[in-house]
Amino acid sequence: MTAALSRSRPAARAAALAAALALAACGRAGDDAVTLWHAYSGDERAALEDEAARWNRDHPERTVRLVAVPYDAFADKITSAIPNGNGPDLFVYSHDRVGDWVASGLLEPIEFWIDGDTAATWADDALAAMAYRGSLWGLPLAVKSLALYVRTDLVAAALTTTDELFAMAPGLRARGVFPLSYPVDDLYGHAAWLHGFGGQTLDADGRAAIATPEAVAAAAFARELVVREVVPRDADVALTATLFNEGKAAMAMSGPWFQGDIAGGVPWTVTTLPVVSATGRPAAPFLGAEGVLMSARARDKDAAIAVMLALAGDDAAGRRARRARQVVPNPRAYDGDLAADPVLDAFRRQLDASVAMPAVPLMRAVWTPYKNALGSVVSGASRPADALDRVASEIRTYEAP
Amino acid sequence: MTSTPPPRPPVRSALRDAAVAAFALWLVLFTAFVRHRNHELADRERARAQAAAAAVAAGEAPLHATSALGVVLPAEPDPRHPFLARRAVVDAAGTRALGGAEAPAADKLLYDAAARFDREGPFVGLLTDGSGRAVAAIATPRGPAIAVTAPPGSPAGLPWLMMIGLLGLGAALVTAGALSGRGALGVGAGLAVLVVPAWMWGGVALAAVAGGVAAAVAVAHGRGATERLAAGLIAHRVALSFLTPAAVAMAVLVLVPFLVGLVIGFYDHQHGTWTFVGLDNFARILSGDGRAFDDPLNFWFILGVTVLWTGANVLFHVVIGTTLALALRQPWLRARGLFRVLLIVPWAIPNYITALIWKGMFQGEYGAINSLLEGVGVGGVSWFSSWATAFAANVATNTWLGFPFMMVVALGALESIPRDLYEAAEVDGASAWQRLTQITLPHLRPALAPAVILGSIWTFNMFNVIYLVSGGKPGGSTDILVTDAYRWAFERGERYGMAAALGTIIFLILLLWTVFGTRVTRRTEEAP
Amino acid sequence: MTAPSPRAGTRRPRPLLMIAVYAALSVATAAVLYPVLLVIKKAFEPGRQFALSASPVPEDVTLEHFRGLLGQRGAGGELAFLQHALASVAVALATTLVGIALACTAAYALSRFRFPGRRTALTTFLVVQMFPASLLMLPLYVLLDQLHLLNSLTGLVLVYSTTAIPFCVWTLKGYFDGLPRELLEAARVDGAGPARIFFTIVLPLARPGIAVTALFSFMTAWNEFIMASTFLTDEGKYTLPVLLQSSVGQFSADWGRFAAGALVTSVPVMVLFYVLQKYLVGGLTAGAVKG
Repeated sequence: MTAALSRSRPAARAAALAAALALAACGRAGDDAVTLWHAYSGDERAALEDEAARWNRDHPERTVRLVAVPYDAFADKITSAIPNGNGPDLFVYSHDRVGDWVASGLLEPIEFWIDGDTAATWADDALAAMAYRGSLWGLPLAVKSLALYVRTDLVAAALTTTDELFAMAPGLRARGVFPLSYPVDDLYGHAAWLHGFGGQTLDADGRAAIATPEAVAAAAFARELVVREVVPRDADVALTATLFNEGKAAMAMSGPWFQGDIAGGVPWTVTTLPVVSATGRPAAPFLGAEGVLMSARARDKDAAIAVMLALAGDDAAGRRARRARQVVPNPRAYDGDLAADPVLDAFRRQLDASVAMPAVPLMRAVWTPYKNALGSVVSGASRPADALDRVASEIRTYEAP
Repeated sequence: MTSTPPPRPPVRSALRDAAVAAFALWLVLFTAFVRHRNHELADRERARAQAAAAAVAAGEAPLHATSALGVVLPAEPDPRHPFLARRAVVDAAGTRALGGAEAPAADKLLYDAAARFDREGPFVGLLTDGSGRAVAAIATPRGPAIAVTAPPGSPAGLPWLMMIGLLGLGAALVTAGALSGRGALGVGAGLAVLVVPAWMWGGVALAAVAGGVAAAVAVAHGRGATERLAAGLIAHRVALSFLTPAAVAMAVLVLVPFLVGLVIGFYDHQHGTWTFVGLDNFARILSGDGRAFDDPLNFWFILGVTVLWTGANVLFHVVIGTTLALALRQPWLRARGLFRVLLIVPWAIPNYITALIWKGMFQGEYGAINSLLEGVGVGGVSWFSSWATAFAANVATNTWLGFPFMMVVALGALESIPRDLYEAAEVDGASAWQRLTQITLPHLRPALAPAVILGSIWTFNMFNVIYLVSGGKPGGSTDILVTDAYRWAFERGERYGMAAALGTIIFLILLLWTVFGTRVTRRTEEAP
Repeated sequence: MTAPSPRAGTRRPRPLLMIAVYAALSVATAAVLYPVLLVIKKAFEPGRQFALSASPVPEDVTLEHFRGLLGQRGAGGELAFLQHALASVAVALATTLVGIALACTAAYALSRFRFPGRRTALTTFLVVQMFPASLLMLPLYVLLDQLHLLNSLTGLVLVYSTTAIPFCVWTLKGYFDGLPRELLEAARVDGAGPARIFFTIVLPLARPGIAVTALFSFMTAWNEFIMASTFLTDEGKYTLPVLLQSSVGQFSADWGRFAAGALVTSVPVMVLFYVLQKYLVGGLTAGAVKG
């Protein structure tokens, strides 16, 4: 063994170094391509890859290179990579971080290239979601909100009010099934009830409006959902999918991406969220406009805007809608079969009862404290009013005077 | 061969000392030069942009070349989309519209600068695209006059003639001093020559540093210290050359980041900009940031959690490990080898995999732990909703991970206890309990002490278990110091300054603990 | 372990003690094996979630997780798992080579030569090992950012070398300490220079020690998670630990895929660990005690 070691070491050393360098160099190849970061998976990822391949075929001299970055750390990696020139030229993300990134000088304004005619490609609301402080920072690719996925074999009649939801519970629980599943402590899902009760997170001026009586009522409602076993206590996004697939949850509150998680053989449909019985208003989830944004340090801005326009254009939108079931904000793309698609139709109807997620930088500071508060309210550790007061006081430290 | 080397000629030794010091100073001076030159370049570009904008406002041609210039007329907002303003620019060639899909890149600079003018008022600044160009906007009655400078040419190089002249002058001073018998003075004067570029490129501070270095080297030379150092280096040149590769790597990979970490702690980093804040970060951390003690963002709370975490784990590791080792040492035990092999399994598994497995086991609805509890009728627990249960989950995972190490150390120590002691004790009529407490445990202590120190340091810094099992839940209250520092750096908006300051504090805590622990260990070893 | 002496301790102990000892060992062994069996079960049981039952026996056996793990193809059609495995191998190998290559001579110098500053150097190498790599992570991140080495395997090797070099120095010094003095003295008397002695006599003698150190270094780099996760952005460059962790992330958890991946990733290093573990404890405690 020792003799073999001494003979093989120099060769092994050279080979290993070569391998390491080669793998490192792989990252440098195609540096003149337009780099696009995304956090897609499943069908959405396949659709994006199709569009990229199509573009590269038609434009071999300015190719686009996709980089998949996991969602959990995506925003943080963007914020730390771009300032030093290590970030992408383009990236896909939802509109709510735009304010934060504009404040840090990370984004390139694009309204220069867009005239009124081009702007008519997209729905006004969706395009406006990508604007901030008088400039446009991206083009919308899809609008996302939560809706109600229903297992038709477990739920007979369509659900219209939250009282009906509570009425379902005893019968379903007797069979070991939860009526509804969603991450109950996450503000993103809870927002549907929050807005349904008339509450909000930030007011029209972008200032915190957290501890209002309506918000307290909504938090108490969330606790009631758990106490009366309508919703599991601890389900995260992944578990919701599993419960729905295995028939242990009759309904799930989730977005268009959920379709890729549903197992084959499960009979399902999508409908709008119910009306909150206490107020008579429909549950209104957050509306997120997911778009493609340009980095302020993009190398070839002309090539980058061309890629953006192609990805967000009507042709690509139609293909993405068919392949990945994205709700695209291009009115002209909805022709033929797309116009009649029931799933897309349900999500478009839900858009009418939804509230755009605030894009001001302060919003970023709201998520974690609110999640902690909901967690402690749902587990009974604190009263809703106290928990929300704590959230409000914590956010006050971040608010500009 | 004589034991001391022959005295070197004074000129040679003086020149050598001055040359080494000059080289070290040179590295610093060069960095200062580059920084200074970049600042000067940026200032010049900004001034040129300002002047060009003023020229455009006055209707004249600017002095220096520009990439783009003109007076941008007020924006006409699109009726449907307020953020899609139409703009036009007036320049020497007339009026033209700005914008559209195929417009030239220079026009975009004008457009964006006009938009920024609308938001902030007149300004001057550098473009963020890294080209070194500056843009300035000045108000005029018709609209902002905007100018963007042309890309600056290659920056001025080092003033070589000046440097060579200075170095020559310095060498002459050193030689003169050495020849006239005032070696120290000569070295000092020769090095002091470098104060001139230091002051040019780094101001008074750097000049003071250069002067200080010159004085220090001169004094060292005068006292013969440099001579002794050189002799020592030559005497041990073999050892030092063997040491060099690792030493250089350590300096680059460990010392430099460590110093950088120290320095970053004195800055605040937000939204990509660095601001010097002195001891502000440390003050915020040590004062608990004005939060209540049980607020997870209070340093003292996290420190308390970390100390509790370390203590609990080490206690369990030692107790369980020692008990199992004692059990394995029973001479009548069957299948000892099998037990030993199986009990080391947790040590063999990569600890991030362990952490993820236990996270899965503590899951609320489907976790194995809750299934077992429900099986015995206790009922499931939502492990990560309350501090106590989340902390317990972390401790359980780390105990599972860590007891094999203590067990193996204890086994090794037990093996080294001479059998005769036990035999003698049995003959004397000592009971099993007395044998345990009078012979076994005292002999275990000196072997376990260093293991406990090591184990406590590893546990104090056990990032993977906390990050992956509880993830700090609920609300960050089960975070320990190292995970909290990580979140400051990578999850709370890249607050590198706070993270670095916290890292320095952690380092000091560990240093104190190591020193304290080693002293206690030494005392345990000395005691019989 | 020598056979117990025939005189002491072979008297049959009280039954209560025997029961207690066997019970303690059995409980501990069961607690140790249960999570492992759960993972093995999950790797072979269908479904993305752990099954509701807590029993370690799988109800249904399938190879779908292994097929999915090993057969997954990336954007360009390449085998994703192979790519990640190669990344891990390259990084671990490069780290080991850098560590050993730079540490050999330094360890020898610290072991055999006496020079001023030797004690300081020894203490420094020991202290550096004790401090958490996570403290240096931030400055290294900032520095690599400036050098554009983020999101590259080369940068990751540099980061790993930070801990690999002190470890190799310390462990190799321990081995060099154990080499017979007489051999080296004889060579010196024969007129060989220190460099020749090192390369022609010491290195061949220390090959087993170098091999063990290299293997431990490889294992440490292979099992490292948090730095790889922080310094690598592009999913395509992920090493195996990051791949495993991302399969049970916040938004989509596939525990079956994770279990299969955990088995495939860790069984080789576990076997290696078992072979080597007796070297590890000796080195640790001896080094720490002698100081």
